Amino acid sequence: MKRALWIFILIGALAVTSVSAAPQRGGTLRVGLNADPPNMDPHQSTAAVDRQVFQNLYDKLVDINQNLEIVPMLATSWQITDGGRTYTFKLRQGVVFHDGTPFNADAVKFNFERMLDKSFGSPRFNEVSLVTSVTAVDPYTVRITLEKPYSPFLAVLSDRAGMMVSPAAAQKAGKGLAREPVGTGPYKFVEKRPQERIVLERFDQHWDKNGGFVDRIIYRPFTDENARLANLRAGELDVIDQVAPADIPKLRTDPVLRLLERSGLEWQGMWIMVAGPPFNNKLLRQALNATIDRRTLVNVVFGETAVPANGPFPPALFTYDVPANSRIPERNVDLARQRLRDAGMPNGFSFTLKITPGRVAQQVAQVIQSMAADAGIKVNIEIVEFGAILSQGDAHKFEAILLGWSGRPDPDGNIYGDFITDGGLNFSAYSNPRVDTLLDAARILTTRDQRRRAYGDVMNILNDELPYLFLYWPKQYKVLGPKLQGFVHISDGMMRFRNTWLTP
Amino acid sequence: MSRFAADLPVDVVRLRHRAAGMRRYGFGYLLHRYARNRLALVGLWVVLGIVAVALFASWVAPASPIKPDFGNLLRSPSAAHPMGTDDLGRDVLSRVIFGARTALLAGVLSVGIAVLAGLPLGLLSGYYGGRLDDLLMRLTDAMLSFPFLVLALALAAVLGAGLDKALLAIGIVFTPRFIRLARAQVLGEREQNYVEAARAMGVGDGRIIWRHILPNSVSPIVVQASLDMAGAITAEATLSFLGLGTQPPTPSWGSMLNIAQAYLGTAPWMAVWPGLAIFITVLALNLLGDGLREALDPRLR
Repeated sequence: MKRALWIFILIGALAVTSVSAAPQRGGTLRVGLNADPPNMDPHQSTAAVDRQVFQNLYDKLVDINQNLEIVPMLATSWQITDGGRTYTFKLRQGVVFHDGTPFNADAVKFNFERMLDKSFGSPRFNEVSLVTSVTAVDPYTVRITLEKPYSPFLAVLSDRAGMMVSPAAAQKAGKGLAREPVGTGPYKFVEKRPQERIVLERFDQHWDKNGGFVDRIIYRPFTDENARLANLRAGELDVIDQVAPADIPKLRTDPVLRLLERSGLEWQGMWIMVAGPPFNNKLLRQALNATIDRRTLVNVVFGETAVPANGPFPPALFTYDVPANSRIPERNVDLARQRLRDAGMPNGFSFTLKITPGRVAQQVAQVIQSMAADAGIKVNIEIVEFGAILSQGDAHKFEAILLGWSGRPDPDGNIYGDFITDGGLNFSAYSNPRVDTLLDAARILTTRDQRRRAYGDVMNILNDELPYLFLYWPKQYKVLGPKLQGFVHISDGMMRFRNTWLTP
Repeated sequence: MSRFAADLPVDVVRLRHRAAGMRRYGFGYLLHRYARNRLALVGLWVVLGIVAVALFASWVAPASPIKPDFGNLLRSPSAAHPMGTDDLGRDVLSRVIFGARTALLAGVLSVGIAVLAGLPLGLLSGYYGGRLDDLLMRLTDAMLSFPFLVLALALAAVLGAGLDKALLAIGIVFTPRFIRLARAQVLGEREQNYVEAARAMGVGDGRIIWRHILPNSVSPIVVQASLDMAGAITAEATLSFLGLGTQPPTPSWGSMLNIAQAYLGTAPWMAVWPGLAIFITVLALNLLGDGLREALDPRLR
């Protein structure tokens, strides 16, 4: 009797797994994005949401897996020689672009030259600017030489800088490639109607014959998170990106929808402008920092959808366990008052905190405002439109800005440009020669232990000087409808649909 | 002139002889006429009540409208918090009460700006005509051709976020209506015998406009202002809803609704009360405005 029961359970389990294990062809996959992707050319794109569509339109030289390890994609293998200055890639054979152009070493060379062409003005320029030469050794071998060793290079090539566009199409269309993209990805471009939809269709000549199960992919933008979720519930979508924290608890027990959760790569917090009053006084930065109770902040605004942070390395990155990064400081109002007295401002001071429109920023700002008030620090909140806040940040025209970074799979991408002197993302106008040296060193060091040590030293300095108050690391969420199968959730939040399929 | 008549929210022609009515019957009679309309009376009392709440908000509100209470997040309505608490643990009732201040401020200030700018411009434009009139009319044409919320949004976006800037934007958008209204009044009065008589007696233009035409043109302006106040409150709520108006943590019914959106399923009370407050205030102001119009309109006597 007991054995019969076991067999029964076994058969049941087999039946369940076989349903989800056999990929099926056909169907239209409908994806809800949080914004309308403006640009379809990876060498021109600046919006994060573009990357969602790129994942399926383009292949990259290399990709990352769930453990953030570099895995082959258009390059099947590679060798790093000359002390980290030369990368030799063996390319996948039999790959063609959507327009029929063959993919080979010359195409790779063309793509790098396009990104490095100053007159083209690619936002990718800084990511590949260390490249001094790209040589086609043979049709399927390409050698890239760097000016100096740069250990995050492969991670950079797993994103937009590693996406290969068709040389023929790019030569013909120039910047117009943004409207008629041509890649080698499992899906090819059909149409894009601004603020309405982007349609992709299976590319039958894609090199991965064991992929591209779904016939078409339709991306639709929903800026309102309620509308996005409501459309998924109504069966109008199969998967959505980003979900409101308030909806998470209910989604966990939802009988139909499936919530996927992972540690993200993103960090969030407050830029502090250190080159002008009031925050050119380090003591005032330390005073403000000491008033903040990060755990309470996260509990109040995010519940379980974020983790308190003290650095730029969320748990998914290998540098997370750097002590100065993962140790969350306790709130200490007495210390804050002491720092204010030391600064000669025992009655506190006031500053303006600029925030982007939107609920989360308002909540975080108000929580900080009430916490800072306990030490006599007065926070004036000012809502500024997103584009304006970026340009004011670039120009260092602010006292404090609440803004974070979407994150990259290599720790370098989460810290370098933000804190190096004159870095492209260094809103704080922060400059410390020791930090510069360490950040540059971490790019040359090759072992994880060495890099971890360098970043540890940087974080010790940053957590004393506080050009940025790291506050929380948001978790990564996707919500799947009942039909989508085979989806692999990676911390970068990118939705790769090459090996997913739909049940009828 | 007739091609503009359709634009005017208040029927100017019907109100033209109101001044005579007021003089003949006095303020007491007008009040009596107003009170005959039960709904208008209700509107008046509700508006007075909201004004009182706004003025004495600090005494009426049971708690601080801005101080978060992290131990009391999203509590449903109870004895301690009759309207529940919000996402940061603040008492929703207190925020609705203080929100009345923001709303009335929006109504009075932005309509005040519109009247102060629109009335003199309209009077001058109507009285003198000519180039000034042409210029102003084309300008108001242009402004009136935009849906008013779109224009207010654009202006608020240019001016930047903040309650003061939002009120200025709303005021500017409402100004053309008052220019038009005042101008139409002047055009009607300018050719009246008493104006001719004053002019024949050698009275100066300034005095004619100020002492003769203005008092006879004021009632449609009053009616329009009371109705626009409701519009201004809705506009402030809308701009704040979109993050362009009141800055946190100052309570505004619009920004309360903005935040409440995310909690519609879990904490509906966050949306219900500010929504109801906007609804009641706007309704009351509309009833008040309608009542005024009826009381001041000689045709409805």
